[in-house]
Amino acid sequence: MNRYAVPAEPISIQDVHTSPPLVPSKPFADSSRLAPGNAFFPPPPPRLHAEAETIARTVSEAPTAGSSSYDRRRKRDKDRGRSGSRRGKGEWKKLLWVKQPKYPDNYTDPPTFLSHLQRNPRLQPYDFWPLVADSTVIVQHLASVTIFVCCFVGINREQFSPVSMVSLGSAGTILGWVLWDFWVGQSEAAKMTSRSAITNALDLRNEEPDYRSNRKPDLDHSRPASRSGETSGLGLTLVPSDPAHKHHYQSTDHLFMSPISSELSSASSTTNPQPVASFSTSMSPSPGYQSPTNILSQRNQQRLTTMKSAVLIYCVLHGLSPILKSLTKSTSPDSIWALSTILMCINILFFDYGGGVGVKFPASLSTNAALMSSTVLASRLPSTTHVFSLTLFSIEVFGLFPVFRRHLRHVSWRGHLVLTLFLVLGAGGVSGITLSKNGGWQAMILGMLFWSVGAALGMGGCSWWLIGLQRYKNVVVGPWDPARPVIRGGGWE
Amino acid sequence: MPYNIAMVSDFFFPQPGGVESHIYQLSTKLIDRGHKIIIITHAYKGRTGVRYLTNGLKVYHVPFLVIYRESTFPTVFSFFPIFRNIVLREEIEIVHGHASLSSFCHEAILHARTMGLRTVFTDHSLFGFADAGSILTNKLLKFTLSDVDHVICVSHTCKENTVLRASLDPLMVSVIPNAVVAENFAPLGYHKTGSNGALGVYPGAISPPPPRPLGPNDIITIVVISRLFYNKGTDLLIAAIPRILAGDPNVRFIIAGSGPKAIDLEQMLERRVLQDKVELLGPVRHEEVRDVMVRGHIYLHPSLTEAFGTVIVEAASCGLYVVCTRVGGIPEVLPQHMTKFAKPEEDDIVAETGKAIASLRANKVRTERFHDQVKMMYSWTNVAERTERVYDGITGALSEEDFYGDNSGNSWSATRGRAGVQSFALIDRLKRYYGCGVWAGKLFCLCVIIDYLILKFLEVWAPRADIDIAKSWPKKQTHVIRVEDEEADEPGPLKSTSVRSFRDYALRRDKRP
Repeated sequence: MNRYAVPAEPISIQDVHTSPPLVPSKPFADSSRLAPGNAFFPPPPPRLHAEAETIARTVSEAPTAGSSSYDRRRKRDKDRGRSGSRRGKGEWKKLLWVKQPKYPDNYTDPPTFLSHLQRNPRLQPYDFWPLVADSTVIVQHLASVTIFVCCFVGINREQFSPVSMVSLGSAGTILGWVLWDFWVGQSEAAKMTSRSAITNALDLRNEEPDYRSNRKPDLDHSRPASRSGETSGLGLTLVPSDPAHKHHYQSTDHLFMSPISSELSSASSTTNPQPVASFSTSMSPSPGYQSPTNILSQRNQQRLTTMKSAVLIYCVLHGLSPILKSLTKSTSPDSIWALSTILMCINILFFDYGGGVGVKFPASLSTNAALMSSTVLASRLPSTTHVFSLTLFSIEVFGLFPVFRRHLRHVSWRGHLVLTLFLVLGAGGVSGITLSKNGGWQAMILGMLFWSVGAALGMGGCSWWLIGLQRYKNVVVGPWDPARPVIRGGGWE
Repeated sequence: MPYNIAMVSDFFFPQPGGVESHIYQLSTKLIDRGHKIIIITHAYKGRTGVRYLTNGLKVYHVPFLVIYRESTFPTVFSFFPIFRNIVLREEIEIVHGHASLSSFCHEAILHARTMGLRTVFTDHSLFGFADAGSILTNKLLKFTLSDVDHVICVSHTCKENTVLRASLDPLMVSVIPNAVVAENFAPLGYHKTGSNGALGVYPGAISPPPPRPLGPNDIITIVVISRLFYNKGTDLLIAAIPRILAGDPNVRFIIAGSGPKAIDLEQMLERRVLQDKVELLGPVRHEEVRDVMVRGHIYLHPSLTEAFGTVIVEAASCGLYVVCTRVGGIPEVLPQHMTKFAKPEEDDIVAETGKAIASLRANKVRTERFHDQVKMMYSWTNVAERTERVYDGITGALSEEDFYGDNSGNSWSATRGRAGVQSFALIDRLKRYYGCGVWAGKLFCLCVIIDYLILKFLEVWAPRADIDIAKSWPKKQTHVIRVEDEEADEPGPLKSTSVRSFRDYALRRDKRP
């Protein structure tokens, strides 16, 4: 038996054998602790004050919350497995290797049983106004879908002229593009200055030729991101705003092409996709390690390619419109309405509401569903001009507008709110006009009123509802859950 | 008092694994204690019909549709006719199901309760509460365990988990750990004389093998034996290996096992050009594990979840210093002086392994003593004894006070009947099932009623009187048993293939008319 008296482990089997028996006579009196009974009795009704307490604590501890919970957790982790040795002799130990004949196998130790169980460990109580603010994204998308559908109805009923609609849309798109181009330029300039600052500070210039020499042109679309990550992984964390810059940076060459080229390829799937491919490869000279003097010509080159692809889309659509017009001639209108409704629902459900500016292909399912829906709808229209206008409009609304919205939200919150307001009013106005019989301005005002009130009520009500539902959240976490491995990520390169 | 016990599980030999060897070892030890054991599992490829293993352990391979990783298709009722036939034929009193992913086991427990038998369930694994698969499994478990006499878990963490998952009375759940056959996991150069001493006769007379002092430049080998899956922590391993090797030039790795993460591991080795320091063995059979383990000094176990972790006990028994993650039931398994615990983080694993290497080099760890210590901690004989106590408790051979302790007056032990054993009356069973949930409770009640009706139908269709009683395997003479007991734990079934197949063959020839 002496063999067990190892300095690291003060308890020995002998101790357990000789100790007096402890009968678990004490019921689970401590109400703050989880008793075994909690496992099979229904949980107590949700306590509002507890929730408030949590919120208060989170607020008061906000700066240190992360570290303190980590400490607590670490302490608890340390206790595990060692709890036996800390407690007095003869007490039950939560260990398997100690034979404890004084305790039956089904003995349940009240202080330790389920002592590592946590409920809702990562609960983040929602606040009302941030929720409402976040829901504006959904409202924006709903409004733009409504505007599109109403425009279709208007064209179909010959209430609107398709040419005026598409000119309006195109004007808006060009305006948006100019703005977007401006923002990208700004962020790139900021990026360049910070980058040159780093480069000068750490004198990493001599590494640049290396990167250039082994860069493969066809891999470039994936390279810049990883390379910039690499650079920051070299210990260049002294720039606090680096991740944000990286986002912008990625967006410069990806966002630029992706909407247009993807739209083009999906819209013109019947034609040869070769020009698109050549476009995206011609885009490839990445601005990764260009010197600041080079950037202007680079940007101009990008602008040029955008123009080119815009013209290409325009021409291809023109060519395709007659085909599209006769696409669903043999299908009955009922199934067209049903199909396009379903596709629009898919678009709304799968839209990437949370995506930031750096998303490469935001929710391709959603975009493709919307474009297919608009194609099918367009094929119902009487003339080629109609078809062309509606398809172009749908590309603008579903392909390019979300990119702009995302960027606007990133750049200016005020602008985002204003845009939301405009969209809500616009959706209300257009739906008022299309729903009324003759479509006067009264109907428009009424529609705007309805939409504004509805949007406000919906945003407020849903947020309030979600906050109310949160009290039913009951996540149980304990040592049985698979641990999340923490890997520093250095193991691969 | 000997019982007739049926062990039911989807998982049994020829498939290798922890549950399988648990069932086999427990059964043989219970047979040694005078009980009659049969095992009911599904038909494996090349294994059908009735088989006898060592010691007269009878295995029924029931033909059944296998859907996923040797689990059978969960049909709630279709197992009942053949199950009833086997149970009546073998005069079974206690049905003992294993493994919560085995639908065979769940069905057997349900039918056994309908037929008025005592039931025990052993849980071998941990489940979370978050993902869809776990929710489904937990509901199924709740259904089965609403009406079970006792549950056995392999660790205290596993008990907490099972109590939460199936909403059980904690007193109904016993903790009986796994064990290892220590003789199969002896360190190199271990003398058999030590094993007699470890029985407790002359503890002072043990002569442990001479310690192997490690110099500062000796090679230290780290062994990893695990299936290379995500939840076994292979990602951590892949991240940690280069750093451990960089920290000490005299360290080598031996990695055995296969799985979907093997490619990642190989890729890492190629990228880092570590092939000469890391040896990949591929899959090894269970009986070869010891031969791999004794080649090393440290056993590294980076698992992310583990109910018990038999392999670290095996490693310690082979005299390896164990570095493992502090997850699941692992902290309960081995004492502090045999293990280094790390958080499931790359940095911590590297740090703790470094400490383990340092203390081995400083000769601070008496690894040569581990084998005898592990042998005293875990043995299947002990497991069988404790399981027998559970059987005594549920059949009423042990009084309620003895079995459940004094606090039976507490409100949270109300699930038991007054006699300390669960009532078989249909209405009482329905009451237990009804509490499972708003919709689930009603569905479960429906299932139980249908099961009851099927039983009534079977009683008419295939009356008990028409079912022959199978002859039991002849009990050994007393002196034979004593000889068996003095022998070391029997080798695993895979090792005694020749003997067993000869017996099988002889037996089948005997049975031929």
